[in-house]
Amino acid sequence: MPIDIPMDNWPGSVKTVTLGATSDQGGTRSSTVTIGGDQSLPFMHFEKPTANRPVIAMEIAPARPAEWSPVLLETWSEVVDDPGAWANACEEAGADLIVLQFGLKGAGDEPIAADLATSAVKTVLGATGLPLVVLGPGQAEIDNAILVPIADETKGERLVLGLCEDGNYRTIVASAMANDHLVLGRTPMDVNLAKQLNILMTDMGLPLDRIVMDPTTGALGYGIEYGYSVMERLRLAALQGDAMTQLPMMVNPGFETWKTKESKVGEGVPEAWGEWTERGVNWETLTAVSLIEAGANVVVLRHPDSLKRVRAAIDDLMAFETV
Amino acid sequence: MTDYLVRFDSHPEPIEVQTGALLVEAARRGGVEIRQPCGGQGRCGRCAVLIESGQVRRRSVLRLSKADLEAGYALACQTVVEGDVAVVVPPAEQIQRRLTTDHVAPEAVVPEGYDPARVQTVRRILLELSAPSMDDQTDDWGRLCTALRRATGVTRLDTTLEQIRRLGPVLRASEWRIAVTIDTGRDPNGAAHLIRVEPATVAEGAPLCGLAIDVGTTTVTVWLIDLLTGRVQFQAGEYNGQISRGEDVISRIIYGSKNDGGEELRGLVLETINTLVDSACSRTGIDATAIAKATVSGNSTMMHLLLGIPPESIRLEPFITPINHMPPLRASDVGITMNADGIVDPLPGVASYVGADITAGVLSSGLRSSPETALFIDVGTNGEMVLGSSEWLVTCACSAGPAFEGAGVLHGMRADIGAIEEVWIDGRTYEPTSRVIGDVAPRGICGSGLISLVAEMFLTGILDKGGHINQTLATPRVRRGLHGAEYVLAWSKETETGDDIVITRVDIDNLLRAKAAIYAGFNVLADRVGVPLDSAERVLIGGSFGKYINVEKAVDIGLLPDMPWERFDFLGNTSVRGAYLALLDREARAEITEIASSMTYIELSADNSFYEAFTSALFLPHTDLSRFPSVAAAMT
Repeated sequence: MPIDIPMDNWPGSVKTVTLGATSDQGGTRSSTVTIGGDQSLPFMHFEKPTANRPVIAMEIAPARPAEWSPVLLETWSEVVDDPGAWANACEEAGADLIVLQFGLKGAGDEPIAADLATSAVKTVLGATGLPLVVLGPGQAEIDNAILVPIADETKGERLVLGLCEDGNYRTIVASAMANDHLVLGRTPMDVNLAKQLNILMTDMGLPLDRIVMDPTTGALGYGIEYGYSVMERLRLAALQGDAMTQLPMMVNPGFETWKTKESKVGEGVPEAWGEWTERGVNWETLTAVSLIEAGANVVVLRHPDSLKRVRAAIDDLMAFETV
Repeated sequence: MTDYLVRFDSHPEPIEVQTGALLVEAARRGGVEIRQPCGGQGRCGRCAVLIESGQVRRRSVLRLSKADLEAGYALACQTVVEGDVAVVVPPAEQIQRRLTTDHVAPEAVVPEGYDPARVQTVRRILLELSAPSMDDQTDDWGRLCTALRRATGVTRLDTTLEQIRRLGPVLRASEWRIAVTIDTGRDPNGAAHLIRVEPATVAEGAPLCGLAIDVGTTTVTVWLIDLLTGRVQFQAGEYNGQISRGEDVISRIIYGSKNDGGEELRGLVLETINTLVDSACSRTGIDATAIAKATVSGNSTMMHLLLGIPPESIRLEPFITPINHMPPLRASDVGITMNADGIVDPLPGVASYVGADITAGVLSSGLRSSPETALFIDVGTNGEMVLGSSEWLVTCACSAGPAFEGAGVLHGMRADIGAIEEVWIDGRTYEPTSRVIGDVAPRGICGSGLISLVAEMFLTGILDKGGHINQTLATPRVRRGLHGAEYVLAWSKETETGDDIVITRVDIDNLLRAKAAIYAGFNVLADRVGVPLDSAERVLIGGSFGKYINVEKAVDIGLLPDMPWERFDFLGNTSVRGAYLALLDREARAEITEIASSMTYIELSADNSFYEAFTSALFLPHTDLSRFPSVAAAMT
């Protein structure tokens, strides 16, 4: 007996956003990445084909990130001392995007100087052809101090610049607009706050297709349910036609999982927790795949094995389309 | 080249202008002063003039009502001369209060046909007692009761030991001609209570007074009333002395539950009340012993703290008050400065977070007078709201904080002399113009001033929709201060205090949270009842944030729903007004009891839609701009 599968016909869809620009488009990337365009809930291929598959970004730092889990530092080995080499290694490992994350401190105790930050970005751009996301530490003064010269010096690359937050978005949005870049807006796990930040940024004249939103999430076991449901509600609102929620979402399971004790600490923990590396990679993979199911268009990861596993999961989810 | 002549009433010569000139340009040319606080953008309505004759084109009629237009009013800054025109410039004070969206709280009016002998529970009766003799051995008390019964029909009389101790000497000294003040109580068939016995000669022509008291979390208001005429003799307000022990009811309860905190809080609020009563007495020359009765309104926590009843259970699930319907109390037990044997009548509440301020407010707002659905909002530290009609009442409460009463804001103050109560900002220069209560140098900003200021800052782009001050603007008025970004409303040389009056980022956040809580409250209320918010035919606004509210500006910031302005009524302090009505009239008092018993209470903490509604309202005017079409129009 044939079964009619009930289908939703949504009036709205997620904006399509292209990251990076090739030389034809005014940048230097060897390829671009296009995300969003969703017209149904994730992987409901029978309703609407998935316009663009979720992509994986790998996070790197301008210098060895001492606070990272020893598992990660060991895995990446010496490349962590050279952002160019690190970006290159990520590209070879199969990343779609690179996220260059600046910390609160540079080499010493002071925040990184703007010129050093700019040259780190240029190093990465020179080493890889992948589109690049550049994130400040999320503290207004430092973010503005480093992102403005970076935006100026990389005009036309369609970088994604962040963090734009409720209290600090004007400077970053203005320099992104002036230099043909995109921005990442982050809000703390709340549908309304995400929407409000998008309104504030578009009020400045930034087109919606140049915004990626980070609704913030938690690791598995550390509040993922809350993050998941906020993402799901944002996506539902977008499909229902609420323009200010119709943006692709980027979340950071790498950061969220590798800061948990389970991933960060290997000694003095119960034996039942199992092998350290496997535990960390599983944690990161499961968190990332769950968030992709919730509607994430970009997941930011840290471990190359997680990259492979999440890639395989995405392949499976996409393959369903042809069944 | 001259096209047309414009004639101003105050100017002897006609002024020559070209086609397309604005009236303000003609005025400027002729030296006729027309004030334009908003910088000629047609927003403030202060440049309204009367077109006596001639052809003009009104580019914008914002802030003018249909009646205004029919009367010939036009905004000078928005009106184009298209013929020879005669114009009358009304005096500024005439303009100030006739704007369509300004809603001024009405004066307290004695209810029509007030007849103390019929409706008042407090009565003073002149009695001539028969003197005792060897043939008439009735005791003094029996003699008094008999005379009272004959004169009034009162059959039972309560008294106190002290009064009995004083009785004999007074009767004899007055030669048995006395004035007896009694309270006949809520129940006409119950016992009356003896308040005072005095010689008739003393009482004749002497005042007989009552108090209506509203104990707010932030503001305490006292009205002194002449019970014989019903007139309000004096109104006074002051910040509740408990503020320094916590800004909201929850922190007060916590403070009160520690050590002797409860007794300390009781003492503080009594001190505030009694200071106000003292000043009312001294300003009117009335002796406190002439005050026979007080009705007290206030939220449940304030009421409990005033009476020294431990309020802890109000804070803890399942949020139960020790008592909602209090019996009448003896003044000396409560501690209010008045006749020690006078009656204090605490008005009844509904629940922990919907107190007597709301039952009294519903009474005085007239919410129940019509079968049409109306919304009553009491904008206070707790925002309480009631949706209903003569048939039904549903209520809820949410914590708004003290910002609208001018507290918890750096330069906030009560709506008193020296408070900035309205602000306009020139959209090009970001220069403000303000109106100060009493027309003196400003000391601070009151609640209505804060609403007005935030609305103007928003519409002129000084604030973005998130309430952030745009620090890239070219004006010295936007700067960084101790508390982050701030806007200077008045420079030190203009103020009474000699300090700059500013509004800070923190203040704006407080105001945003306050308005979001209130807006969210009535959205959830309407949702729960299942009616659209705009089904409310009237919106009745109470609160002690000022003597008036500019509805347009309250809508601009998203405090009030975007509805036709004529649906709004600003009633001022509805709580004290309700206490006043209950003081005067036994039936009004009975109606408050009925209101308290018939209201359905929705506990928002048990409603998870509130938080969602709150965060979406935490924006200017709201995350969903389609709810505020008039604001969207004003922004373009």
